[in-house]
Amino acid sequence: MNLKISGMQVLWIILSMNLGMTLVMTITPSLQAAKQDAWLSIIAAGCIALLVALLVTAVAKIFPGQNLIDYAPLVFGNWLGKLVIVIYLVQWYTIIPIVLRQFSDLVNIMLLPETPKEFVILLMILLIAYAAYAGGIEGIGRCSEFLGPIILIMVVLVLLANSNNINLKQILPVYADSGFKDILRGSLAPASYLGHSVEYLMFASFLSRPHKGRAYTISAVLIANLIVLLTTIMIIAVLGVNLSPNMWYPFFEMTQKISLFGFIDNFDAVPVVIWISSVFVKLAVYLFLVSYGTAQFLKVQSWRIMIWFIAPVMFVFALIPQNVIEATTNYLQRYWVPFALPVNMLGLPLLMLIIGSLKKKAGAATTAKGNSSQ
Amino acid sequence: MSRFIRTCRYMLLLIILCMTTGCWDRREMDDLALIMGSGIDLTDSGLVEVSYQIALPTGIPSAVKSGGSQKQVVVISAKGNDLQEALGKVQQQMSRYVYFGHREVFLIGESYARHGLNQVQDLFTRFPETRYNSYVLTAYGATAKEILSAPYPMELIPALAISKIQSSRQSFSVKFDEFLKAFSSPGTSPVTAAIRIIHKGTDKESVAIDRTAVYLGNKLSGFTEPSELDLLRWWIGDPYRLGFTIQAEPEEKDYKGTISVKSSESRVHVHTKILDDHPEAKVIFHTVVKVVSNNTRLNLDNEKNRKNVEQQFSRQLQSRIEGLLTHVQKEMRSDIFGMGEEIHIEHPYFWKKIQDSWSEIFPAMPVQVEVELQIEQLGKTHGRAYPKK
Repeated sequence: MNLKISGMQVLWIILSMNLGMTLVMTITPSLQAAKQDAWLSIIAAGCIALLVALLVTAVAKIFPGQNLIDYAPLVFGNWLGKLVIVIYLVQWYTIIPIVLRQFSDLVNIMLLPETPKEFVILLMILLIAYAAYAGGIEGIGRCSEFLGPIILIMVVLVLLANSNNINLKQILPVYADSGFKDILRGSLAPASYLGHSVEYLMFASFLSRPHKGRAYTISAVLIANLIVLLTTIMIIAVLGVNLSPNMWYPFFEMTQKISLFGFIDNFDAVPVVIWISSVFVKLAVYLFLVSYGTAQFLKVQSWRIMIWFIAPVMFVFALIPQNVIEATTNYLQRYWVPFALPVNMLGLPLLMLIIGSLKKKAGAATTAKGNSSQ
Repeated sequence: MSRFIRTCRYMLLLIILCMTTGCWDRREMDDLALIMGSGIDLTDSGLVEVSYQIALPTGIPSAVKSGGSQKQVVVISAKGNDLQEALGKVQQQMSRYVYFGHREVFLIGESYARHGLNQVQDLFTRFPETRYNSYVLTAYGATAKEILSAPYPMELIPALAISKIQSSRQSFSVKFDEFLKAFSSPGTSPVTAAIRIIHKGTDKESVAIDRTAVYLGNKLSGFTEPSELDLLRWWIGDPYRLGFTIQAEPEEKDYKGTISVKSSESRVHVHTKILDDHPEAKVIFHTVVKVVSNNTRLNLDNEKNRKNVEQQFSRQLQSRIEGLLTHVQKEMRSDIFGMGEEIHIEHPYFWKKIQDSWSEIFPAMPVQVEVELQIEQLGKTHGRAYPKK
């Protein structure tokens, strides 16, 4: 099958991956750290995410038509390159079970308290395995082209419908209660979620017109940042910062506040659509990347075979965390923020950019020299 | 081979479809007890009593009229050592699952409120079915169970009547999330509407909401007077159509000497300042009103008379607001006006120093009140329709 995606599909993939997850999972840590200045944290996080996007698109530009698994050994040498690939594979292998678990936790907490989590997880696993197996990145791209706008419309709908609950006074006082350090601390969690454009290192090789990918990726990150920023301001202005830092999912609580004209109430189903679509796109993309990457890494001919091994493993891993704190807070605070953000999203792309461009220049110089001496 | 794969695909889709129904959590309509209102009380022996007003299936209003004056709701209650035990005992009496999705009101009995509310707060924030859009009220001179059991002649379901009164904008209302927000805020004290039973023991028994319950920390510290309700709505509630009456002239044989107005637009501005490390506040009340009744000899077409009446209104309202302030600030010592929050916003660094001792500082804080009232309309007539004497 032809594995090609368009720039627009990349935009929607990154946008849907970023939006739903960040809105649901990372606003609370920001609110806890920076209180009513959480929106400043989001701006800071947006800058970090933009930097990630700039880095990875620049790296991808150096190696057109190749993905991370191809060029990591070229940049770092054979063994170090393999290590780098393993670092990324660890990121992708661990995020799938965690997101699966977060998904089932949220469904259990907010919607279906009686349903066993195994079945919620199984359902999602089957779906993403189907999407990745039957559609590949192309199918997932088309899915997100369809789901992405729905996610966007739903988020905007929630924001608009809440506009009569805004109390802008709750944003005040700005800066006085938190200070620079807390604002920065609050930006780490959303930054690590908004930094998902790092997967572009893998997408880039599937692009039908690679040189256009950069603009789409950066606009996806910018749009996602903007909407997360607006939502955070809304959450602060609607819920206030006394109660919301203690809520697991303030975005959900905000939709419960919607009450228009006395008869439009109980919008609880809307964020579920946002959340499930976002989780689905994210997991399907990861499952594809993991299967494709692992197959390439281990030199297995057909990446599709890998799904049959990886999906059951992911299912079992998703059941490992004992409780909601282990799945949501600990993973975020112990691995994703202190390791994945600085190493996978910033450090390694930066290294690849520097070494890659140096090597390319050197390579170009030697060939040029070779040509001139002939 | 391809047929095998296709079969597998269809099987997979079938499995997925079967699981998306969410049948583990299915609740059939006739397995649910729709809680319309609930209440919590403290009995004399120190037990917690939980009461639910449950709509009977026949009581749910529908276009088709169900005959006669059937009973439309039932009140079920149970006692226990703590909230969970009481809730468990309620379920034991029920043939149906308790369903809170339609709960419109939550009542706190007076004795329970005076005892303290920590348990309630925790239970209702953790609970997924809690709706933030339901109203919280405190029972005045009654238990929550008595209020829930009281009939209401105009509506089939009494809890819906309470909810309708609260959402009418003419009443002081506090929703669940606002209540919890005030609870968790260091600079604002919680306040709820207070409900009482009127015409008790007669066949006209009903409920009325004309007071507010003022909390200090997590305990009820007192109720405001019915005459203070509109002032409170002006200050911290929804200032929609406030009504005021003043004695503009001394009472005579034919004239009562009163003028009544309804507001069309009202707002409040609070300014705080710090003088020698002590906070001070100035509260300016603006309102634009129309005259709804004039029981005096004064002709309000006359500019001078109008100005005079405006001034009298401002003065008399000012002293009423000061009375309310003394009542709430000095006697109940509770900052329901959110003055602490104002200081927090206007002087954040000063607030950091005093926020822990705010409950001691607030009762002594000087608050200056100013009222600006402007008469905008005089109703449909200039003067009186009947001949002057």
